[in-house]
Amino acid sequence: MSGQPARLRAVPSGAGVSSSSVPVVDRTPTHRVRIVDATLACMAHRGTTKTTVDDIARQAGISRATVYRVFPGGKVEILAAVVDTEMARLFSALGVRMGTADRLADVLVNGIVEAVTRVTTHPALGYLVEHEPDVVLRHLAFDESNQLLATATRFVAPFLARWMDPEESARVAEWSTRIVLSYCINPSSETDLTDPVQARRLIETFVLPGIRALQAPDRTAPIAIAAFAAERRPDRPNHPSDITPVKGDQP
Amino acid sequence: MADTRQRIIEATYSCVARWGLAKTTVEDAAREANVSRATVYRYFPGGREELIHDVVAWEFLAFFLRLYQAIQGAASLEAVMELGIRFAHRSIREHEVLQRVMQTEPETLLPTLTLESNRIRQGIADFLLPYLYQHGLAEGVDPAQASDFLARMVLSYMASPGRWDLDDPVQVSQLVREELLAGVVVGPEPHGAPPC
Repeated sequence: MSGQPARLRAVPSGAGVSSSSVPVVDRTPTHRVRIVDATLACMAHRGTTKTTVDDIARQAGISRATVYRVFPGGKVEILAAVVDTEMARLFSALGVRMGTADRLADVLVNGIVEAVTRVTTHPALGYLVEHEPDVVLRHLAFDESNQLLATATRFVAPFLARWMDPEESARVAEWSTRIVLSYCINPSSETDLTDPVQARRLIETFVLPGIRALQAPDRTAPIAIAAFAAERRPDRPNHPSDITPVKGDQP
Repeated sequence: MADTRQRIIEATYSCVARWGLAKTTVEDAAREANVSRATVYRYFPGGREELIHDVVAWEFLAFFLRLYQAIQGAASLEAVMELGIRFAHRSIREHEVLQRVMQTEPETLLPTLTLESNRIRQGIADFLLPYLYQHGLAEGVDPAQASDFLARMVLSYMASPGRWDLDDPVQVSQLVREELLAGVVVGPEPHGAPPC
């Protein structure tokens, strides 16, 4: 934005904060928020195909011209902003839930429960899965899915850095993302990952042993599973005690 | 009778391979199969939509039958999973029709693929179950949950390799033995119990 933006808050003197990070008085951000929120509301009961810019303007209580002033690209640009917003909301909720956990198992359980719960109870996403599955599914298969896995892995891996090195973190982050995606796309009648108890059981049964295996000595060499099993001693030095299954959490 | 249905399916697949899903019509399929339009509708009362769905489902099943053939020689759970993942990865990459349709009209293909993969998951789980018993399960592991979990993971890696190079046998071996099976079949310590 050129010119001298009016400042809402004074820049702390000597703080070295660039003016671009200071909120500016402008009507556009308000409209932007209203348009994004209105689009989400429309999508929750009409999906994307049937939602028009007119619907969005009406829902937001602003004129069609204003919508196009804020989003010159129209519906395509609005939908991109909606996707970005919802991804940011999901990731920030995940960050809070994972970042406040003190044990590796809790990081994974909290992250998986939060992600599966948010994805499966999201009103707009729910409508799309039901009525316009192709809109959602195209991001979940083959090349697109690889991109989604990479994005989620980059975000999740640092939350695991306390317990493992970057390569291990990336592997475990991607693995956890696959679990979330699988149970979101094809819910299981046996395992409900919105339930922390069931999620913990899944993590402790299938994922933590894999992490322990990753951290076993000499793991870079391809090893016979029998020899490897003998090597995998729970009491080996530096074994992270917090990835031992917690009996008290069993139902 | 069944032959006619099969002939129509195969003819439709040829049309899809040539022109894609969207441009394949009931007329094309009828001409290719040397039957009348009415015959196509007799076997596929839902018309074009049903025909396209059934063709995708047919090739999907054929894919897994080829996969099933490819892993016949494998003796152990590890070998079955490694061979299966590598074969599936290579087959998907080399599947020209699939690759082209995914590029041009994923929206037609994906809902059926997702539905069918949900169905095949149970088949994969059932297939893995005897191998799990043969190998011996880690204590406390529920066989049905374990086979379902492994089937989900196998499908996930097939559809998107992510960070893995699934052409590399060493990597696939590490993936299967170190990660996927670590909690399922080996457990030097009883699951959930303190080591003693």
